[in-house]
Amino acid sequence: MEVKLLAFAQLRGTLGFGERMMECGREETPRMIIGRMILGVDVGGVRVAVDREYADWDEPIGEAKELAFIPPVSGG
Amino acid sequence: MKKQIVFTDTAIIEPAMEMGLREVGARVEFWGIVREKEGEKKLAGLYYEAYEPMAVQELGRIFDELAVEYPCVEVQMIHRLGWVPVGEASLFMRVLGVHRGEALQFLGASIDRLKEAVPIWKRV
Repeated sequence: MEVKLLAFAQLRGTLGFGERMMECGREETPRMIIGRMILGVDVGGVRVAVDREYADWDEPIGEAKELAFIPPVSGG
Repeated sequence: MKKQIVFTDTAIIEPAMEMGLREVGARVEFWGIVREKEGEKKLAGLYYEAYEPMAVQELGRIFDELAVEYPCVEVQMIHRLGWVPVGEASLFMRVLGVHRGEALQFLGASIDRLKEAVPIWKRV
């Protein structure tokens, strides 16, 4: 299935996109998906959101439509 | 509790107050302003971006959670996006409460939580 991937702030440069579509499996986890783009990536302080909810890096994405890679926030 | 969450790419204008809120005994407001100095660096301004749909959702959740501990009547939040020059506001928050204690606590805790978990970023 096709999943929309989003990257923000400094991660856009690291991952090389702000938004893209990617073919992903239901059993894949966010860590596996980001690992396909950058081998041996260390997610460090980056959080992931699945369908606009913070999620676990190691939880399968299931029927997710959107994955967002969220670097440390700094609003206000 | 009534909630208004707005993102704007133009200068923040203080929203008009609704008249006749007879239960409100405290109105607390906060303006976050872009300052010139960040440590030793001198800035011309800051650029803000957000994952807007998720940010609205997260803020709504944060406000609902805080309202359990600090019940308030209404919260209004406006966050600016894009380039914000030094001296202009990046954030406006207004909390209306029955008593000042809850309104002040609600406002302070909201900003703390915003800075921890709401997907908004600034860069030079």
